[in-house]
Amino acid sequence: MSTAAIDYTQEVPLIEGRPRASEIDATIAAPLDEFPKRGWWIAFAVTASMLAFGGYCAFETVWQGLGLWGINIPVAWGFDMTSLVFWIGIGHAGTLISAILFLLRQHWRTGIARFAEAMTIFAVICAGMFPILHLGRPWLPLYLTPYPNQHGVWINFMSPLVWDVFAVSTYFTVSLVFWYVGLIPDLATLRDRTTSKLKKIIYSIFSLGWRHSNRHWHHYERAYLILAGFATPLVLSVHTIVSFDFAVSVLPGWHSTIFPPYFVAGAIFSGFAMVQNALIFVRQSFNLKHIITLNHLEKMNQIIIVTGSMVGYSYLMEFFISWYSGSEFERFVFINRALGPYAWAFWVMVSCNVLFPQLFWIKKIRRSVPIMFVIGVLVNVGMWMERFVIIVTSLQRDFLPSSWGMYYPTIYDIGILMGSFGLFFTLILIFVRVLPVVSIVDTKAVMEGGQPKHH
Amino acid sequence: MSVPLSAGPLRNELPRKVTRLAWILLALGIVLYAAGYMVDIKRSALNNVVGFLFLASLASGSLFLVALEYIAGAVWSVPMRRVSEFLAALTPLTPLLAIPLFFHLRDVFEWSHPAAAASDSVLMSKSPYLNVTFFVVRFVCVFGLLNLFYYSFIRNSTRQDVSREQKLTTINIRLAALFMPDFAVIVTLIAVDWAMSLEPHWYSTIFGVYYFAGTVLAGLAAATYIIVRFHENGLLPRLRRDHFYSLGALLFAFINFWAYIAFSQFLLTWYANLPEETFWFVKRWRDGWQYVSVLLILVQFVVPYFALLTQDSKMDPKRLKLMSIWILFAHLLDIYWLVMPSYGGGVPLSWMEIGYPVLLAGLVLVVLSYEVKRTNLVPVGDPKLERGLNFRL
Amino acid sequence: MNDGPLYSVTALFDTPDAIIRAAEEVSTGGYTKYDVNTPFPVHGMDKAMKLRQSRLGIFTFFFGLLGTVSIVGFMTWVTVTDYPLVIGGKPFWTWPAFVPIAFEITVLLAAVLTAITMIVLYFRFPNVSHPLHDTPYMKKVSSDRFGISIQASDPKFDEAAVRELLRSLGGKEIAAIYFDAEDLSHRQELFDPKFLGVLALTAVVVSGATYFSFNTLLDMQPFSWMSEQNKLKAQMPSDFSKDGIGMRPPVEGTVARGFLPYPFNGKPEEAGKDLVNPLLPTPAVLARGKAKFLTFCSPCHGNFARGDSRLQGQFPSPPTLHSDKVRNRPDGSIYNVITEGQNVMPSYASQILPEDRWAIILYIRALQRAQNAKESDLK
Repeated sequence: MSTAAIDYTQEVPLIEGRPRASEIDATIAAPLDEFPKRGWWIAFAVTASMLAFGGYCAFETVWQGLGLWGINIPVAWGFDMTSLVFWIGIGHAGTLISAILFLLRQHWRTGIARFAEAMTIFAVICAGMFPILHLGRPWLPLYLTPYPNQHGVWINFMSPLVWDVFAVSTYFTVSLVFWYVGLIPDLATLRDRTTSKLKKIIYSIFSLGWRHSNRHWHHYERAYLILAGFATPLVLSVHTIVSFDFAVSVLPGWHSTIFPPYFVAGAIFSGFAMVQNALIFVRQSFNLKHIITLNHLEKMNQIIIVTGSMVGYSYLMEFFISWYSGSEFERFVFINRALGPYAWAFWVMVSCNVLFPQLFWIKKIRRSVPIMFVIGVLVNVGMWMERFVIIVTSLQRDFLPSSWGMYYPTIYDIGILMGSFGLFFTLILIFVRVLPVVSIVDTKAVMEGGQPKHH
Repeated sequence: MSVPLSAGPLRNELPRKVTRLAWILLALGIVLYAAGYMVDIKRSALNNVVGFLFLASLASGSLFLVALEYIAGAVWSVPMRRVSEFLAALTPLTPLLAIPLFFHLRDVFEWSHPAAAASDSVLMSKSPYLNVTFFVVRFVCVFGLLNLFYYSFIRNSTRQDVSREQKLTTINIRLAALFMPDFAVIVTLIAVDWAMSLEPHWYSTIFGVYYFAGTVLAGLAAATYIIVRFHENGLLPRLRRDHFYSLGALLFAFINFWAYIAFSQFLLTWYANLPEETFWFVKRWRDGWQYVSVLLILVQFVVPYFALLTQDSKMDPKRLKLMSIWILFAHLLDIYWLVMPSYGGGVPLSWMEIGYPVLLAGLVLVVLSYEVKRTNLVPVGDPKLERGLNFRL
Repeated sequence: MNDGPLYSVTALFDTPDAIIRAAEEVSTGGYTKYDVNTPFPVHGMDKAMKLRQSRLGIFTFFFGLLGTVSIVGFMTWVTVTDYPLVIGGKPFWTWPAFVPIAFEITVLLAAVLTAITMIVLYFRFPNVSHPLHDTPYMKKVSSDRFGISIQASDPKFDEAAVRELLRSLGGKEIAAIYFDAEDLSHRQELFDPKFLGVLALTAVVVSGATYFSFNTLLDMQPFSWMSEQNKLKAQMPSDFSKDGIGMRPPVEGTVARGFLPYPFNGKPEEAGKDLVNPLLPTPAVLARGKAKFLTFCSPCHGNFARGDSRLQGQFPSPPTLHSDKVRNRPDGSIYNVITEGQNVMPSYASQILPEDRWAIILYIRALQRAQNAKESDLK
């Protein structure tokens, strides 16, 4: 077989082509210095129009009220919460790549960590829109926080929705800090090589006077390790708390103890698919194929199949236990999911999440860019469907048949979802022109000849 | 590719006093456990379940670690992989420990009584799964499959010592890919069949994951202890603090994972407050079991957390030795907490509970001493060995 | 620019091995005030420079602890002391529910404050200007070379000796770096008027914006739309109705709850014939009847219904109720008198509830029996 190709005694080089350190500077900083080409402008036009439409739908929602959406009783949560969970999930890949792979000493993360972290922050921004918009009075989000007030009331610390407020804000803040701390040395490098006066001032301010001193690297590395050490349980806790929104209830189909690890696995699954999709464009557009190599993409696909299998296990477990429980309500939930009015969503979910990713067992497919791109898109579709299925089917048909209902999204629901994608990709497009997409410092640190031979 | 001799002595023998101790413990354990069956069948049978679940977790956890190394392409663990392979040799012996139980299923499992099942509508609806025939079939399939994987992995690994073919690594990687999903189902079935069905009215979707967390901890802790001891006695000399750090970090990660799963299960049951679910936890909060529950959190999470928090502690051989034995006891306590409340009444603790741990300790040492004589301590033919020995953080 | 005293002498190296060796030599050479500048962290440099482990982790631990203690304390105070509410049937102090938030706040404080500590304590933010900035040395070290800089303030410093040392170690482009006189004299003070001014301005802007948002903006459209509602409140006028009044009287024939229409108005005989006392003369009923009688009836009729109340002389006295006429009157007829009134007596319908009227009648009967007691009643 193709075993002749692998020699396990040799370390696979992380960066191909053995570039020199100064070449790495030039390659990574190139998009920051050049004026964007046509491809970027076309992409920006598309994403900005999606954002604009979404913005309009959001504005109308705030102006006119939530009646514009398709939510009703019994289905009080629809596209809004589906998209919230979806976007928070997307964010998890970034932190996992950044923090968890760092702790596991997986050096291949260097090519992709910076971009993935940025994606996390943008994804959390997109996610944060939804809980705000779905409030009856979105202009009073402060009511979600425990500020001393004259009403004499506090927030309900027992509610998982309140836990969400703390979790998502903490996640955003810590991710931002982690990302920024990682940027400081890169900003210093950019400061020292830029010729534009304005950029020099901006880089100087944000690099905090960094001068690559080892006495600082010393503390910096400790801080980075600490931040990674905290970001890891944080990312697990955030999606766990999001899963608690559903799991602490008594609804069949929602109240299931496996939700926390199931949601976390699903989040990593969809997040990696999104990162992989985005990186395919980035490495192509900015000549970074030797830094974001096919090996990186292959490893990401391997993680996709591992987490996809965990999601598949969870489906199996939920299905088995719902039968095992003997409860007619639990059993009905799964019959309804597979055969009820939203069966189409269920089967899309199963095929996209369980079936198609199995193709990644085949090495050729793992290393084929067009196929992996398609599978990545399918995974994201499937994961969005999964949240939709969980939320809507359990709400639409719970205990009393007389309370059963349906959910039909309106143009505003769809518009806001589109707008969130528009926001996400617009932010990414701006990011790639303003900040280095790959960590310059980390790349130099892992290239061959970068570290002393014996110590 | 030849491996320098400085990789360490290849085959060896455990010190005589260790082997002697092993046989003594094994014999004592068998005596205690047989005596237990003569005194109180139900209690002894439940202790048997505890012992069986512990052994199953140790054996399958060790096999899991072997497979994990292959599929993750890990390099640091290659010099130490044999220790996990030795522990995985417990896999063929595990079903033997369950055999006495098949004569006492009625004493352990409420659902195995046809009369009880017939009068209880919930049990009736579960009877397609919870019946003795299917139970035995599942047991045979699970351990058949587990042993098949064990023999395949080990055969390839030991063959590679001689032939040095890189192809065998590729085969084991493919085998590991096949193994992982099966392992998930195997561990879940063991947990559901032997621990969750003790309370046939109760259910929890995360139960398989909970037992899995304990399984990995068992495999990891046992391997860590043995690796450190071997290193201290010159049997794995080229290991460095970098290798130990990885072991310590994994231990730390998995006790956190265990606590996370345990807390999730508890919080969700507590919060929704459904009587058909809470009774399981309530049972573990009465009649003295509340002390065991609190002890479990302290022992399996709080103490190891602070003991392994700093970077230095994760690399320190003394700390690792202490905490790995500690975690093994914690895991035993965990299984005891899962199983024994089914006995009813208070917290049973006497010589009958000691029997199985003694037997298991003896069994593990016996298997270890046998394997150590038979097989190379280090996988000398593994192409990644040199990289593994040179591993730096 | 760079016209101040000597800051340090620097040298560049090409490989990580070279810089490690150089660092080792410089540190064993007894120099303490020196630094190594590398474009990325080089493994083993900390050991070569004999640096002690960073103490940052200790700060992290305490920040995390601070986070946990303060948030759990706060939640406890809120749920147990300040505003205890029974939620979901759980006790006031529900520690499992506190775990998620406690975890998040611990991580938040530990992570963010660690980063801030590093930047302020170790990087000396905001005093970040440094003579090495904007030098050719810095440019190289930022890109692909490794550098060492031995400061003039080191006790062992001697420019010639240092240059020789660096040359012997293989250092290239050995250069002297000078302080910038302007930077030296200008130190960013915490109480600098410009800085304080910016701080004050920020405070004013932020508090002003907050005040505006919460006190004024929320009363403006569209936020105020939910407060302005197109519904009719009590006392409001409305041009929907002809008389312009929003409140409408009840429809003709509406019967108030508990007030059934009295069918025997002006028909005392029929009342006497058709109305039947629904109550039984139990002690409770009689006690009630007595209480109501004493309240409403006794001012005119007297305490024992003899018609001898204190109003005698000031007000026409009613006849005694113990006459044969009254004693032979059916209960319904007396009920009619209370309800409609009779002669001088006004209607008591609005003061005495129908049930109480029946109780009063039973009491009157008791009084009547008492006033004309027979021998047999004593038994």
